[in-house]
Amino acid sequence: MTSDVTASHGTLGHVEEDPAEARDRMLLGVKLGIVSEVMLFGALFAAYFVVRSESPDWPPGGELERPELLLPGLNTLLLVSSSVTMQLAIWATRASDRARMMRWLYSTIVLGGIFLLIQMYEFATNGFGLADGVFGSTFYTLTGFHGAHVLVGLLLIAIVTNRARRGYVSADRETALESVSYYWHFVDVVWLFLFSTLYVL
Amino acid sequence: MSPGRHALVAVLAWAVLSAIGVFLVLGMQIMPQIASHEAEIENNAFVLLTAVSVPVLMFVVVGIVYSALYFRAGPDTADGPPTQASSRLQAAWLIVTTLMVIGLFVYGTFGLIEIRGAQESTFEVEVHAKQWSWEFDYDDAGFAANELHIPVDQRVHLIINSNDAIHSLWLPALGIKQDAVPGRPTEAYVTATQLGTYNVLCAELCGFGHTIMTSSVVVSTQAELDAWMQQQQEAASP
Amino acid sequence: MMRSAPVQAVWRPGFTRAIVGGALGFAIGGGAMAVLGVLGVGVKPGHILGVGYLGTLFGFLLGIGAFRFWLTWMIGREIDADEEHESHGKAGDWKRYFRFTTDHKVIGVQYLVTAFLLFFTAGMAAMFMRFELAQPGVATDKDLYNIIMSTHGAMMITVALISVIGGLGNYLVPIMVGTRDMAFPKANALSYWLLPIPLLFVAINPLLGGFDSGWTAYPPLSQQANLGQQAYLMAFVTIGASSILSAVNFLVTVFRMRAPGMSLMRMPIFVWALTVTATLVLIATSVVAGAMTMLLFDRLIGTSFFRVKGGGDVILFQHLFWFYSHPAVYIMAVPGLGAILEIVPVFARKPLFAYPLAVFSFIAIGVLSFMVWAHHMFVSGMATFFHIPIMFTTELISVPTGLVFFSAIGTLWMGRIRFKVPMLWVYGFLWAFVIGGITGVFLADVPTDITLSDSYFVVAHFHYTIIGSTIYGLFAGTYFWFPKITGRMYSERLGRLHFWWFTIAFNLTFLPMFWLGIQGMRRRVADYPADLGGVNLFVSIMAVNIALSVAVFAFNMIRSWRGKRVAMADNPWDAQTLEWICTSPPPIENFAHIPTVTSAPYEYGTPPMSAPPVPAGGRPQP
Repeated sequence: MTSDVTASHGTLGHVEEDPAEARDRMLLGVKLGIVSEVMLFGALFAAYFVVRSESPDWPPGGELERPELLLPGLNTLLLVSSSVTMQLAIWATRASDRARMMRWLYSTIVLGGIFLLIQMYEFATNGFGLADGVFGSTFYTLTGFHGAHVLVGLLLIAIVTNRARRGYVSADRETALESVSYYWHFVDVVWLFLFSTLYVL
Repeated sequence: MSPGRHALVAVLAWAVLSAIGVFLVLGMQIMPQIASHEAEIENNAFVLLTAVSVPVLMFVVVGIVYSALYFRAGPDTADGPPTQASSRLQAAWLIVTTLMVIGLFVYGTFGLIEIRGAQESTFEVEVHAKQWSWEFDYDDAGFAANELHIPVDQRVHLIINSNDAIHSLWLPALGIKQDAVPGRPTEAYVTATQLGTYNVLCAELCGFGHTIMTSSVVVSTQAELDAWMQQQQEAASP
Repeated sequence: MMRSAPVQAVWRPGFTRAIVGGALGFAIGGGAMAVLGVLGVGVKPGHILGVGYLGTLFGFLLGIGAFRFWLTWMIGREIDADEEHESHGKAGDWKRYFRFTTDHKVIGVQYLVTAFLLFFTAGMAAMFMRFELAQPGVATDKDLYNIIMSTHGAMMITVALISVIGGLGNYLVPIMVGTRDMAFPKANALSYWLLPIPLLFVAINPLLGGFDSGWTAYPPLSQQANLGQQAYLMAFVTIGASSILSAVNFLVTVFRMRAPGMSLMRMPIFVWALTVTATLVLIATSVVAGAMTMLLFDRLIGTSFFRVKGGGDVILFQHLFWFYSHPAVYIMAVPGLGAILEIVPVFARKPLFAYPLAVFSFIAIGVLSFMVWAHHMFVSGMATFFHIPIMFTTELISVPTGLVFFSAIGTLWMGRIRFKVPMLWVYGFLWAFVIGGITGVFLADVPTDITLSDSYFVVAHFHYTIIGSTIYGLFAGTYFWFPKITGRMYSERLGRLHFWWFTIAFNLTFLPMFWLGIQGMRRRVADYPADLGGVNLFVSIMAVNIALSVAVFAFNMIRSWRGKRVAMADNPWDAQTLEWICTSPPPIENFAHIPTVTSAPYEYGTPPMSAPPVPAGGRPQP
């Protein structure tokens, strides 16, 4: 007994593919990719913890000042909200509610965009730079990598939003949207770690 | 031959070869020069590890040779018997190999603590590594030299540092090696047991002059050391 | 209006356009930075090289058409189904090897050929090194020696990382699990095409001044070094990205695309080995990418991660580097071990001995590999107490590694062994890898490691382990699967010549190095004490023999591949993994009908044996 040709795992044009399996594979792939990204941030956080634990005071030397919590705190609210709106967009898609799907997608982009703008303002007014010893190095490398991930995330959300606008996203065609949502939630969680360790602790 | 017979012959061959090998190895001196207490501990570790390696190596050698001699395919195309590993055999293998590892680990830990553990010392020298030479600072006596002089039969404390690249202080005959790391001093303890002059090498790539970054360590009696130190002091502050 | 062929080549996605794209990319990227520099922004040569490199990489990838599908998708256009379908290339068309072809079999061959070419190049670098080391004193130039040595290391590490899993793995895994391609064929092609540009930069790094730090690139030395160092660091990160993408592909394929009936414990052991390897790649690689990025930042944008003056920590780099690089050596070794264990049952005509334990051993090696990294740092100045658990885990890893021998020798025991060329390499592996493993214990034990660290003992150890597992596994696998991939048979005589010549030369080259290390010969230097000259001369002469034997291999492969086609069975070895029920070479879709699997592929010796052996891994085609 050989398996039904139509159900075989074809990736060739002439062999039918089971969309549920293709979606499942894509989502697994995205999750695994996120594991790898987690390790990248892990290395950066490890560097931060090591140099910070080796320094008697932080910032070392006592000249620089740690950034204030207002702006990053606001940013935390923004980013967490954007994860909420992203998830609402997913649920709206599954419920085939196109209007709300678009609304929540646009909201996510706006919230993420404001996050980046506030962060750039914060960087400009921080009073220390990348070249200011390990303090500046770890701060800007961690937030910089995170910001780059936010930027990429916004681009991905914009792309999916555009596809949604053109009608390519629906309740049974939302693999890309869901993949992007995983990525976006991951970016949000990294920020929570960043906020706690770089700013609060 | 029956499987049981094969097993017996193979095990016997392994036992005999291992016994001969272990016998040859014990009593060997593996490190070319042993001039300190630490080097002696290390040579003992070398001998033990080599002795333990012999039966391991012989297991594979007997496996290779025996199978090549006795388990060749005949002119027919028949398969071999579909034997599988019994749980007892698997368990035995796992237990024996794990116990060997634990044994080696315990022995190694004792050696490690003996060599590296924080200890009291009666003589101290600061070793300053730079691209590309060694400087030995006898700060209490107020001078620096480009050769290391230490007393015999005393525990010496070496504090090692560098300002440029990572270097590594290696005294092969005394069994001491420790990196010199910019930004943090490292240390080593050595108890020399043989008088003589031995090599000092750099054991971490540090740029162009890594090859020429050599010096000497002179192990002398307390009297000779005092005389040398006095000489150096006078030269340093006329 | 008909465009001439060369012009067409530039407009159509393909290799020519890729080269043009790469050159343009470098010009644009590097040029932009140069212009900024002229305008007064503080631009260093490293910035020009860095942005130029990125331009080259993306220009090349755009040129080869790597992003065509994704870009089309991103701007919201529909995909042309026919174009999609053509991307796997036409059978027999040699040009598909130079295009962005999605067929995993093409990609596997691309990886394999690239790896071998890199292997030969790195081998030439080794010839230069052995020429210098043939006599005491410095015959050439000690800095040139270090540059060539570092390049040799960088290239060989890459070969070891990509040859078995990228070459044989890509070709075989989809077929072995009974599916038509990898989970993400376009990403698979991208993984391959991410390699030429970084490899080019590694190959030309001597022209940029080279780097003398060895592949380990420790700061502060690597912060001071010149542009060649930067080329290496950027290349390393790129190759890492390619590996991670590939690892995701392997894992999704193995866990989601197995044929009906193939439970995890019916998978070939080679697939298990590659699954563990892919997991290691996925988890560990980003950490070293982070470390290399921090080092690049220190060099280029003024950070102080490893700069003592800014409060940085030099040893931090070593921890981050080795956290990856120790699992990396298992990423190199485990695929080779998997190939060896896959081949033993076929030629011993017996089931793989203790298959579940062999699976367990790979998983255990993978897990433990993350807990041992600091054994590379026993003399680094790291806290003494930390040495103790590391010594334990490092010595402990010899238990699962020993299980590989248990399985292999148990399979040989009472077998009916056919000594074809692949099997010779299995025997060579047994000897080489046990020596490598035993000598590893000397390095794991701190008292002995104090003498041996940074000496030629280490050099001998890692050549024995990596050549023993990766290279012997690569040769065994290449010979074994050559008939499947090419539909032809290699020359047994030349194969035997290659094996014996290589094995004798390899052992006589590296065995004396253990002794040399104990005598105090340091690694990474062009010179050594005069009394070690005789042995070094002998080693150099033996090393040349390694190169000559590999030339025999290359000749055998090329001649057998290009020569007259002789009738050959699809399954000349009577093996039982699924690839052997396909034709040799397999059709593009691998299987006309996906088989249903009823057992692990190790049913040797189980009746019935009367008819031509029915592969137990699948059913005969209707």
